[in-house]
Amino acid sequence: MQPLKKVFLVLAILLVLFSFTGTSAQVLPQGIPRDKTLILPFLFAPLPVPGNWNQWAGWRAQNCGLHQFVTEPLWTLNPDVVKGGIINALASEGPIYNKDFTRLVIKLRKGIYWSDGVEFTADDVVFTIQKVKETEGLDYHGAMQDVKRVYATDRYTVVVDLNKPNARFHTFFLERWGALRPMPKHIFSKVKDILTYDFNPPVSLGPYVYVSHDPAGYWVLWKKRIDWQRTVTGQLFGEPKPEYVLFIHYGPPEKQNMAMLRHELDVIQGTAEQMLTMLKMSNTTRSYRDTWPYIDPRDISTRGPAFNHLVFPYNNKDVRWALALSIDIVELAISTYNGMVAMTPGLPLVVGKNFYDWYFKPLEAWLKNLTLDIGGGEKFKPWDPDAPWRLLDWAKKNYKVDIDPKNKEEVQLTLGYGWWKYAPEVAEKLLVKNGFKKIGGKWHLPDGKPWKITILRGPDPTDMANIVILGVAEQWKKFGIDVVFNVSAAAATLALNGQFEVLNTGHGGFAGEPWGLHPDLYLCFNAMNSKYVRPVGEPTLGWACRWSDPRMDKIISSLEKTRWSDLATIKKLGLEGLKLQIEEMVAIPCFNCPIAIVFDEYYWTNWPSPKNDYARCDNFTTWPQLKYILHQIRPTGRK
Amino acid sequence: MSFIKRYLIPRLIQYVIVTFLGLTAIFIFPRLLPVDPVKQQLTQYQTFGVYVSPEQQEEIIKTLKQLYGLEGTLWDQYIMFWKRFFSGNFGPSLSRFPTPVNQLLAMALPWTLGLLSVTTILSWIIAVIAGGIVGYFRKKWMEAIDILIMIIRPIPYYITALIFLILFSYIFPIFPLGGGIGVGRTLSFNLQTILNIIKHATLPALTLLVVGIAWQFQSMKLIVQSIQTEDHVIYAKTAGVDEKNIVFSHIIKNAMLPMITQLGLQFGGIFSGALITEMVFTYPGIGQILYDAIMRADYNLIMGIMCISVVAVTTSVLFLDLIYPFFDPRVRYR
Repeated sequence: MQPLKKVFLVLAILLVLFSFTGTSAQVLPQGIPRDKTLILPFLFAPLPVPGNWNQWAGWRAQNCGLHQFVTEPLWTLNPDVVKGGIINALASEGPIYNKDFTRLVIKLRKGIYWSDGVEFTADDVVFTIQKVKETEGLDYHGAMQDVKRVYATDRYTVVVDLNKPNARFHTFFLERWGALRPMPKHIFSKVKDILTYDFNPPVSLGPYVYVSHDPAGYWVLWKKRIDWQRTVTGQLFGEPKPEYVLFIHYGPPEKQNMAMLRHELDVIQGTAEQMLTMLKMSNTTRSYRDTWPYIDPRDISTRGPAFNHLVFPYNNKDVRWALALSIDIVELAISTYNGMVAMTPGLPLVVGKNFYDWYFKPLEAWLKNLTLDIGGGEKFKPWDPDAPWRLLDWAKKNYKVDIDPKNKEEVQLTLGYGWWKYAPEVAEKLLVKNGFKKIGGKWHLPDGKPWKITILRGPDPTDMANIVILGVAEQWKKFGIDVVFNVSAAAATLALNGQFEVLNTGHGGFAGEPWGLHPDLYLCFNAMNSKYVRPVGEPTLGWACRWSDPRMDKIISSLEKTRWSDLATIKKLGLEGLKLQIEEMVAIPCFNCPIAIVFDEYYWTNWPSPKNDYARCDNFTTWPQLKYILHQIRPTGRK
Repeated sequence: MSFIKRYLIPRLIQYVIVTFLGLTAIFIFPRLLPVDPVKQQLTQYQTFGVYVSPEQQEEIIKTLKQLYGLEGTLWDQYIMFWKRFFSGNFGPSLSRFPTPVNQLLAMALPWTLGLLSVTTILSWIIAVIAGGIVGYFRKKWMEAIDILIMIIRPIPYYITALIFLILFSYIFPIFPLGGGIGVGRTLSFNLQTILNIIKHATLPALTLLVVGIAWQFQSMKLIVQSIQTEDHVIYAKTAGVDEKNIVFSHIIKNAMLPMITQLGLQFGGIFSGALITEMVFTYPGIGQILYDAIMRADYNLIMGIMCISVVAVTTSVLFLDLIYPFFDPRVRYR
């Protein structure tokens, strides 16, 4: 036989054999029907240790289904962002504190079972708190040192005695994106070393159980529990629709798009370009909105530049304001995200109905009257409430838009609250007032040296924070400041050490990430507590930007003494803190992080939309509240 | 005896010194990175939205430093490094704590070795044969192959991989979009699973083969063309030596020498993985693990992977040095 013939023969045999290994190249194997399987993106893939599900002992890329299905918190954010608020998950009611916040009583829901048939009780919670307290290396070990004693008074009541007053101790058990969730005592109590235990296969408290995972860590398959009624999801929301849920990472955006075009991926969350490409290429896809700006704007974090307050000239409030006023926010929105973003002027002032009512509305009049002293006896009112409408006008010329410009609330909840005026002439006056000089179109520092801003950022070009900061740099260059980037994989370490001038506020040490659905801003403000400020070169435990103010310390201290359920006082203190941050321009938040989402309606439908607004869209990708919304989607009937 | 003294012993000494220096560099360089493994661990939580209170951070930093073994002096850590090297136990991974590095290597290395050893050998054999033939005979139709290779070679690997994916996973959906094994399958030794693994490895392997062949084909072709013009070949032709003899004894044999060196070095490099292939095809392997380890200053994991890689490269070079005299008599008689 000739060599070429031999090669063809081998290839033919291989093709025949391949055909026995599963149906064509479809992602799902035989026996797992596609029409009953929801395929979701695994955004933080791969699993760091495939086969290790012990998420109490370190990072496990838990959004592979682990924190969606295996664990259940005591309390959690309501997936319904329109209603908002915190809902009771394993707890049957809110946290009960004594008068001086040294005792927390937790009442538990009855009738909840682990997937192996053992009932969930107070013993699980007591065991978890004790184990975490005594085991170094477990997550929340530090936080649990505040526990003096923990015990159960009956099968469904836990009492936690604290070493010192803490009105927010329960927030360690409140799921935002992460919480201390109960371990199954009947399994973990038999384990010699909890730190090294792999918890494989995991036992679930949620409505799905583990089936299998990729040895490389790129996919995990889950199956609905037969006894899903005996879960929090079953009790509160009803039966989740999909029989199976597959979390899978296909690789770069191009491959994710190919997978969705093959109907092997039901949801994509990525960049604006990726979203627009998919909407154009497939007639079965849609995003949150049917028309521009498509995105769901309601993430609970903000993006934009922030400063090292220990480094000159960023320790000067006038300089920070000048940098804010030299940014044309509408141009920035268009250049970075095709305008598909919601603008916000406050670091933790996220865009969403709750924050709109709690904080923006009460701030609006104050923002209008906010006045800056720009030198030479001149005053300037920087607030620009019209910026969202200018963005809307631009969009109308370029896209089909379905937003009523007369509906103020709709415009502000879609495109943002407003921003600072684009006023380079005022920025110039503020800088001149502080001794800066513009020579040959370029700004120079008061000592005569050319002003060069170095921005520290991470290497990921698809990270929203990096996209925005690139746009901001262009704005500052246009204003006459030289801008360079320090692109470093070590950005996180450098930021904590204060080895930077300017960085982006993406996840700025929680200074910019509130609970979102509860008005308490303690965790954002506490990051700015003066006791955490460290000199440059020493790692800080608080906000990397090292801003502090005695007035903020006072607000933090008042919040510490305020009951979590005392919403009126919490909001009052929150407003005070926000005003202080804005007045001081501690950072320049530009936009809410946009959720650029694509849903494929080939196999599943009834995804969230403004008219059917049952959840924030990223609950379908990475958030633990996924389990509470799976009863909402419906199969299309396609096989 | 003089061969051993003059050739073998110096090379063995050189091998020990180079390996020692290479391994010391592995210890030093990750520690020069501005990345701190403890802080990276902390910020990972924050990046992914997990709230870590300042009080917790303090406790975490203290505990992780103890657990990671980063508390002693640099010298203490260096001594520990050699102890670990000689015991073959690289300790726990810092970024995937407390999983032992050895466990991670055992999970990832078989995939990398399986894919890269097959593609490295196959691409080398094909390239050597094809490059030799095209380089010597220079027929018209062979020029077409040469042009095709010239077109393929400068294409970045990522684009080549994407073209293959679009062709064979999207337009003609013959192969899966990625992964090492099908969803729902577990690793086991049965025909179906083995075929499933081969099916998943086919596209990544094809792209590596194409790129590998294109690169080595041109080397071989140019070497052969160059040798053809050398005096000893011209003399052989003039002396009436038959063509088969000229091709195999005078041209291919000489052209093989640099190609063998290339193959040996490539083999050593296998242990560093093929990061882009793994990323594009979401294929399991050591490349992604090494990338993550560097990004997060996981000293132990970097040490584990790079120790294997350094030893593999230096051993390959030593092996080449040792077998060279068999291929090249000039070395024997030097």
